[in-house]
Amino acid sequence: MAAPDTTVAQRPPWAQEVVDVVRALSGGMLFGIPLLYTMETWRAGSTAAPSRLLLVLGITIVPVLILNKTEGFRADPHVTWGEAVKDTVEAVALGIVSVAAVLFLLQEIDLDTPLRDGLGKVVYESTPFSIGIALANHFLRRGRDEGDSDGDEDEDGDTQERGLDATLADVGATVIGAFFVAFNIAPTDEVQMIAAGLPPGLLLCFVAASLAISYCIVFEAGFSNEEQRHAQKGVLQRPLTETVASYLLALAAAALMLFFFQRIGEGEPWSAALSYVVVLGLPAAIGGAAGRLVV
Amino acid sequence: MSDDAADDGNESEGRSPAEWVTFSVSLVILAVVVALIAGQMWGEQRPAAPAAAVAGEVREVDGNYYVPVEVTNAGDDTAENVQVVATLTIGDETLEGDQMVDFLSGGEVEDVEFVFDEDPAGGELAVSVSGYGLP
Repeated sequence: MAAPDTTVAQRPPWAQEVVDVVRALSGGMLFGIPLLYTMETWRAGSTAAPSRLLLVLGITIVPVLILNKTEGFRADPHVTWGEAVKDTVEAVALGIVSVAAVLFLLQEIDLDTPLRDGLGKVVYESTPFSIGIALANHFLRRGRDEGDSDGDEDEDGDTQERGLDATLADVGATVIGAFFVAFNIAPTDEVQMIAAGLPPGLLLCFVAASLAISYCIVFEAGFSNEEQRHAQKGVLQRPLTETVASYLLALAAAALMLFFFQRIGEGEPWSAALSYVVVLGLPAAIGGAAGRLVV
Repeated sequence: MSDDAADDGNESEGRSPAEWVTFSVSLVILAVVVALIAGQMWGEQRPAAPAAAVAGEVREVDGNYYVPVEVTNAGDDTAENVQVVATLTIGDETLEGDQMVDFLSGGEVEDVEFVFDEDPAGGELAVSVSGYGLP
């Protein structure tokens, strides 16, 4: 059972609902982003018969229902089967909508995509995403209680030194988290394939989406350490500056990974290299955000 | 079971109006997706039928002529490894190029370009699909 979230329990119902939905989407992103960058999953969806798509949707519901019965994505998890069923409908629908949005960002679906093709891609990709939503309360919960007490103990320490230490810890956690999530995406053809099909405007949307998702995971989703992170006084640790600085670190990590796998280097036009880095920067930023939650 | 039933009796009190709105919108989304998939099951399923055609103006860059070609799968099934061939005949000379489209799902359109070092306007250009695989 998830520990009751006393920090968010006092929010008005509509604000609480927004936080629950943001937490759900964040969980989905953490769990589902690697498969969103996998060509084979797009193709499995495109070639699947409609009857198979219904089967996949039905199979998805089972683990999502069980996870919602035990924890789910709500700060105050409902424990009855009836409530778990309702949360399951929400998790699957949220998965479908958010996957459609990300696939549109990746230009794997657009308004010209045949209906059957688009439905197949969205249904297949929404499976890990919906499971991630139902797993949201499982993710990174460790620090919620431990982190709060750590914060109290730190009151006696030297503020400046503590801020520097915390900043350094965040830098390390961001880079490690970025590598953890994006390292197995970096050597694949998908990064270049996605980047090649993106108009410049959508590249800016990648930057905006990376920043927004990273901010939501760390500061709005109600995962572990959120209150502590809001209160931190590190050099770069105000929410907006931390989000931007961490995104730049994630981009640097993405560039390093692409260089490591010889996807960028000598002879590569800078504009192409930049687009690869920004495309890989999305999963790297999500990984970096997850990394900062565990420090 | 009886505990569950008792709990279920309190559901309407436990779920806030905001949660009911989320649930209602989610239910509509899920119903629409299931209806769209079900609608695909009753439609006629046509086999893959990829075809190629010149689409747009030929452009010249540094003496090379770039011919835009659109490959369309008019069927519902997916075609893999679609082989597209372009043949340019100028007098007795025949120039040939080929392209492969990895994956073409039902109804999908892919753009490819052929490059010739002779102007296609001075001869006869034919583009066609020579073969494809089924996944």
